[in-house]
Amino acid sequence: MSIDKSDIEYLCNLSKLNLDDEEQSVFLSQMQSILDMIEELEEVDTGDIEPMAHPLKMTQRLRVDEVTEFNDREKYQKNTDFAEDGFYKVPKVID
Amino acid sequence: MKRHTVKELQGMIADHSASSQEIYKLYNNRIRAMNDSINAFISIESDEYSSGNKQADSEISGVPYAVKDIFCSEGDQTTCGSKMLSNFVSPYDATVVKNLREKGTVILGKTNMDEFAMGSSNETSFFGNVNNPWDLERTPGGSSGGSAAAVAAGMAPIALGTDTGGSIRQPAALTGITGLKPTYGRCSRFGMIAFASSLDQAGILSISAEDSAIFLEHMAGYDQKDSTSSKETVPKYTDFLNNDLSGKVVGLPNEFFDGNLDSRFQELVTDSIGEYEKMGVKFKDISLPNIKYSVPTYYVVAPAECSSNLARYDGVRFGHRSTDGKDLDAFYKQTRKDGFGQEVKRRIITGTYVLSAGYYDAYYLKAQKVRQLINQDFLDAFKEVDFIMGPTTQQSAFKLGEKVDDPVSMYMNDIYTISSNLSGVPAISHPIGFVDRLPFGLQIIAPHFKEHELLNIAHKYQMATDWHLQTPEICKEID
Amino acid sequence: MSWETVIGLEIHVQLDTKSKIFSGASTTYGAEQNTNTSPVDLGYPGVLPVLNKDAVMMAIKFGLAVDAEISRRSIFARKNYFYPDLPKGYQISQYELPIVHTGSLEIRLNDGSKKVVGITRAHLEEDAGKSIHDKFANETAIDLNRAGTPLLEIVSEPDIRSAEEASAYMQKIHQLVRYLKISDGNMQEGSFRCDANVSVRPSGQNELGTRTEVKNINSFRFVENAINYEVERQIDRLEDGDEVAQETRLYDPERDETRPMRSKEEANDYRYFPDPDLLPLEIDDETIEEIRKSLPELFDAKVKRYTEVLKIKENDAEEIARNMQVAEYFEAILENFNHDAQLISNWILSEVIAVLNRESIEINAFQIEPSRLASLLSRIHDNTISSTIAKDLFNQMLSSDETADEMIEKQGLEQITDEDSISQFVTEVLDEFSEQKDQYLAGKEQVLGFLVGQVMKRSKGKANPKLVNELIIRQIKR
Repeated sequence: MSIDKSDIEYLCNLSKLNLDDEEQSVFLSQMQSILDMIEELEEVDTGDIEPMAHPLKMTQRLRVDEVTEFNDREKYQKNTDFAEDGFYKVPKVID
Repeated sequence: MKRHTVKELQGMIADHSASSQEIYKLYNNRIRAMNDSINAFISIESDEYSSGNKQADSEISGVPYAVKDIFCSEGDQTTCGSKMLSNFVSPYDATVVKNLREKGTVILGKTNMDEFAMGSSNETSFFGNVNNPWDLERTPGGSSGGSAAAVAAGMAPIALGTDTGGSIRQPAALTGITGLKPTYGRCSRFGMIAFASSLDQAGILSISAEDSAIFLEHMAGYDQKDSTSSKETVPKYTDFLNNDLSGKVVGLPNEFFDGNLDSRFQELVTDSIGEYEKMGVKFKDISLPNIKYSVPTYYVVAPAECSSNLARYDGVRFGHRSTDGKDLDAFYKQTRKDGFGQEVKRRIITGTYVLSAGYYDAYYLKAQKVRQLINQDFLDAFKEVDFIMGPTTQQSAFKLGEKVDDPVSMYMNDIYTISSNLSGVPAISHPIGFVDRLPFGLQIIAPHFKEHELLNIAHKYQMATDWHLQTPEICKEID
Repeated sequence: MSWETVIGLEIHVQLDTKSKIFSGASTTYGAEQNTNTSPVDLGYPGVLPVLNKDAVMMAIKFGLAVDAEISRRSIFARKNYFYPDLPKGYQISQYELPIVHTGSLEIRLNDGSKKVVGITRAHLEEDAGKSIHDKFANETAIDLNRAGTPLLEIVSEPDIRSAEEASAYMQKIHQLVRYLKISDGNMQEGSFRCDANVSVRPSGQNELGTRTEVKNINSFRFVENAINYEVERQIDRLEDGDEVAQETRLYDPERDETRPMRSKEEANDYRYFPDPDLLPLEIDDETIEEIRKSLPELFDAKVKRYTEVLKIKENDAEEIARNMQVAEYFEAILENFNHDAQLISNWILSEVIAVLNRESIEINAFQIEPSRLASLLSRIHDNTISSTIAKDLFNQMLSSDETADEMIEKQGLEQITDEDSISQFVTEVLDEFSEQKDQYLAGKEQVLGFLVGQVMKRSKGKANPKLVNELIIRQIKR
């Protein structure tokens, strides 16, 4: 699979990253060599092999429905300078 | 100066030859004296000793340790080696940190690392690279390079690390210390900043396997805050250290002895095998046919998970925020452009690609299937052997800057270590000698939850040899 | 050309758990902004989700109630996209293997006909937070209290053919989740919301037309309005030779129109993959059977029992059963008074409902407990009081906590059923209104009501009206 500049732009948009022109061309060639390496996988016959999402064969445990966390807003909002009146703030969004 | 093992410190505290306060002070001074040249620590705890948990009366009470800066520790700056989190103060402890805190251990500081644990040379850290105590112009490996260098240089008796593709074992090998990656699920991942959730595991970098055994018992165990942590009982690892090894069978996979290894490293491996044979260990050749696909499999799975795990760094609730984005989209993009370094961005983009519409089946699903095959190779092999052995790395510590611009060659550093993360099995690296005064390591892999056997075999080796006790020259310049 | 409308609904139901689906933070509605948030809800570094058991049990309950398959193994996946009210940059949802699939629900339309709507799937996911655009001048304010509230997303087959059917289906689901007590169904608070996938095609064509997804529908009336608007818009375009664009549109109830959503214009490449922080959810047969046993009697079964066993008129039975709280109130009265179910039903549907409507309250907040209303109805049934007096007592009960018997005794309201006393009032009235008496004799029977009224007035309403009727006629004709 070969990728081009428009692929990188599409991926940057999905992952919300800006790259400047120089970064973009370096990334393009590096990504291409990474993808070439990944393509080795094509030669493996994986037929009806079950995909492995977890290293351990365990199943999900369930938590009892109870409130264990209480208001700690002031503490959490110390990690940002962009909270006001208890709200987090982002540039204006228009729907 | 002399590097102390945890075992020795325990003895000193017990016979009152040193108080935990004096021990803390000793390490705090060493860190302050050496950090400029090694850069192992991102943040150093105050030189005032705060006694940790005074109530704790455990066998490790008063023992100081270093923590990779990927673990959240309450009230401390926790950066993950990134500009993105350079101002982040964690409101909670990672479960492993909490477990150790409750046992009365004391944090010395937070160690340097590749940004978000993505790297094998510690050169991707926002806080600068770490220098290998054996040769300051070389890398200590990564991503737990700060923890490895700190232990190797005697700045900490023991340190926590994380291992996603070799990030404990490879730096341990490159700095001449012991590095243990436990089974996936053995230690809680809660509060350990995620890189690739199905591969990440907390572990230990220490001088000796015995020290790892002492610490692991107190770190490990089920955590209700981590759905992927195991309920498997945590044994008292130190009880197994001196078990007899005769009759144990070790598999040597053809794929780990592929002829790419320099003959001088090969000799060290052969010597260590000879040492084990003296203890009655039997060796046989085996094959792990799909292991050669470990690196490509890993470089699909890990970036895919990381691209999603790192989406939360958007500048809104914590972390770096760029203020010059005029609309929401520009704000996100600028924040993440400025907050992340090159390697992280490269992996996010790679991971986004392999998950994106039209490529998911060809890349991600395919890699998940190959992962199953690799896992099956291990399960099959462990029907016949107790351990699998091979070199931890293909070479000893390389020069800083040597591979930074060539990601694929950098990724090949982890060629021997990655497969155990894919399968989830535990593995340990211990030093087996030097080439050109640079240490080299042997990796031993065991079946799931057989950490006690790994620690046993490595400990027996360390009882018979003293490679793990060799100290870099730089330590001799310090009191 | 005639057109056929094809509609599928996605209904989001907030499950009524105490804590969030993946964290121990409270789900209480209306808390001060960002006070119901834990590090998990804020997407903090290193924290991990742990699944709430009750959310899972509620999803299974719903599945069983719509005769669906319960997946013995289901998977949580991440849906990746950036939005400020989505703190992790992904929503944990179920994608390939949902917990519930392949069910169906019968709806009833206004003309009395019935229709079965297929339910493709119902899956568990987490709700997002809220963006508030008018709080600050140049910024959007983010409140993450709602982030992580458990949602059950119920996806119908494209079986729905009209706005009326859509509304009937939505109401039926709403009724069901309230019956199952898995959601409060409060639409003002956003506990029950709906997106509609709408397309049109020429009648007789098999292929589906291009669909639009209309978001933000939170009432039964709006679902009809939004669909009607959208169908008309699509037909207009097609008849003008234009195409319908596949897009997400927002329903604006104030203008009663739909319009394209700008923020959803970006390519929806959500990069779903199994969430590595959560393991496969396995449900065993035993759990399913346990839940099956705990299912309450549902609407259709209730209506059947009310009509066949309790002999209530079918319309009334449906009215009572429509709202489970009302049905529970009805059944609680029945426990204390089981002589005349139709009488109970009449009183609930007229008097009680009138008060609820007047005061805009739910029946749970109604002032008269079932036992007190039962006592009142018992006294009507045994002729102790007339319905006129009963209505008066009913109104008094709204502001007192006395029982009917206490009131009757205190106020001396026992009905007069003694013929002698009533005859005396009748004689007096017939003397005074001899003109009306003659009219009656001349065949103008309508005046009887007037005369009865006069007798009732004299007895202060206590005379048994039936007896008064009889005695007047008897005396006139004598």
